[in-house]
Amino acid sequence: MSDLSSSSSYLLAFKAGRAFRREGSNFVDPSPTKGAVALVNGEDGLLHFVWKNRTSGVEEEDLILFPSDASFVKVSSAPNSRIYVLKFSSSNQRHFFWMQDASPDRDEEFVANVNGLLQDPDYTLVWGDASAAGSSATGDASTSAAPPAAPATTTAEDTSAGSNIGATPEQLARIQAILGSMSTGGNVSAPELSLTDILTPANITPLFTAHPELVSTLFPHLPPDLPVPASQDAIQRIISSPQFRSSVANFDQALRTGLLGGLVRSLGLPEEAGTGIEPFLRAIQDQAGRESSGAQPGDNMQTD
Amino acid sequence: MSGADDSSGWQLTESDPGVFTELLKRLGVPYIVDDLYSLDPESLASLQPLHALIFLFKWLPNTSSDANSLPAGQYDPDFPGFFAHQVVNNACATLAVLNALGNIPDLSCGPQLAELNSFTTGMDPQTRGLVITSADWLREAHNALSPPSAISLDGLGLPRTTEDAYHFVVYLPAMGSIYELDGLKEHPIKHGAHDTSGEGWVKQAREVIEARISTYPVGALEFSLLALRDDPLPILQTQLADLQASGQQAEAAELVVKLANETSKRDRWAFENSLRRHNHMGLAHAILLAMAKAGKLEGAKTDAKNIMKNSEEAGAR
Repeated sequence: MSDLSSSSSYLLAFKAGRAFRREGSNFVDPSPTKGAVALVNGEDGLLHFVWKNRTSGVEEEDLILFPSDASFVKVSSAPNSRIYVLKFSSSNQRHFFWMQDASPDRDEEFVANVNGLLQDPDYTLVWGDASAAGSSATGDASTSAAPPAAPATTTAEDTSAGSNIGATPEQLARIQAILGSMSTGGNVSAPELSLTDILTPANITPLFTAHPELVSTLFPHLPPDLPVPASQDAIQRIISSPQFRSSVANFDQALRTGLLGGLVRSLGLPEEAGTGIEPFLRAIQDQAGRESSGAQPGDNMQTD
Repeated sequence: MSGADDSSGWQLTESDPGVFTELLKRLGVPYIVDDLYSLDPESLASLQPLHALIFLFKWLPNTSSDANSLPAGQYDPDFPGFFAHQVVNNACATLAVLNALGNIPDLSCGPQLAELNSFTTGMDPQTRGLVITSADWLREAHNALSPPSAISLDGLGLPRTTEDAYHFVVYLPAMGSIYELDGLKEHPIKHGAHDTSGEGWVKQAREVIEARISTYPVGALEFSLLALRDDPLPILQTQLADLQASGQQAEAAELVVKLANETSKRDRWAFENSLRRHNHMGLAHAILLAMAKAGKLEGAKTDAKNIMKNSEEAGAR
């Protein structure tokens, strides 16, 4: 949202993902998305708590914090997890995060420094021995978590070899993948296209005009309690609605995680279709080819 | 996590008049909520009888981090009316509505709400908040218009833009004064006596709200105002019947237009609410499949890639 690049400076950063409360329960599920938490001295002179998606490079969360209002604490009911919650004394707002550094050794150190800054933005950061190589009072992203765009105040030190002892092969592989994506600018998995740019009224309306017979195939998928009769007009209204648009945007985001294998099977698609937007659209193309060649041979205008 | 730390099953809902009105319906209250686009006397007069104004703003930490330095008014710890603290996340909209409804004399409502109101009488705000948010039926009414979780996207790390914390503050007349009820504040805030003639309480309420808005730097706040008012439909229908019976055709025609506007607003709300309850993934898939069958998918993909490329080049993202 805000541009923190110019006269703002990173105070500290560490690798952390977000976690979300599961609807209808007290569970907090860590999201696999790679991210980083950064405390930034914004050009507005205020302290910002930023969560950056390390895959897309997008700052998806940017919270302005006021001295003594927020604290960053471990979720006590999950002592063995590395889930932390950012909470405020002035509101019920809660933001959950989980530590993504391979080693938990420095979790407490980061947390102590975060809380120091949350209490007093002029707090002098204290780093332990483990990070002696890169520690400084001005800023230290001594893991590889600093986002690619991090300014020079961060120390470009990779996950220090010492703190990785004991990491599982999976964890190491993950770190390598992170480093790999960062060396190419972090854009390797930037999406090539978005479903929201395909499912537009501009694309769908001419489809209805050219193929009116397809309209009724959509009727079973409309809300069951729609207060108007199913019609092309109703579908036009739905596809232009903020509710449908945000649904598509959510689904698009979910597909980008590549983890929707189970979900897409309910659409009659192979699990592979849940691994990304391109595979999803390819699978739909195949599905169309199969259905057309079976039911309406003449209508099969395109096969891959 | 403790119960006070989380949403306890309360889901996010949109802050839309159609959503509020559906909630009121489920509570058995014959009111509706309308957007308020202006605080000028004419706009407010056209919505009478008005029961409360709900001031809704994008929560910024600085706006209430210093809870003790109130912009105006004073805490009233002895407020004898209904006031509950917001103790779980996501319940703020419903809590604001309950804080308003609880202070309306002779409220006509369903048995469950009446029972809840009488059961919580005399409780302190915190306990009251806890009792309210542990009422299953109320949570179900609240959740009825949140998107279905069937898509089970939880845990995938999706950005939840709706989690932007909107905060709800109720302004209403009680015991001769304007009160501000904010579930995140310790006590109700009293803003002094209001007029009983002329424009009535909304005059002082307007002044208080306008003063509050003016304390925020320009652009620092996203806000909107909602009005809790009598459902105008039955009133309009009665008036129309009277006018027609007495042969006042011109006045009747005017009312017919008003009625048509109200009815089309209800139709729109009903339509949008049905979309809110629905999981659109199946529709999205069916449309993509239809596009593929018509040979239009590949072209649309190419276009979408160009859009993405151009927006990246333009630095739009």
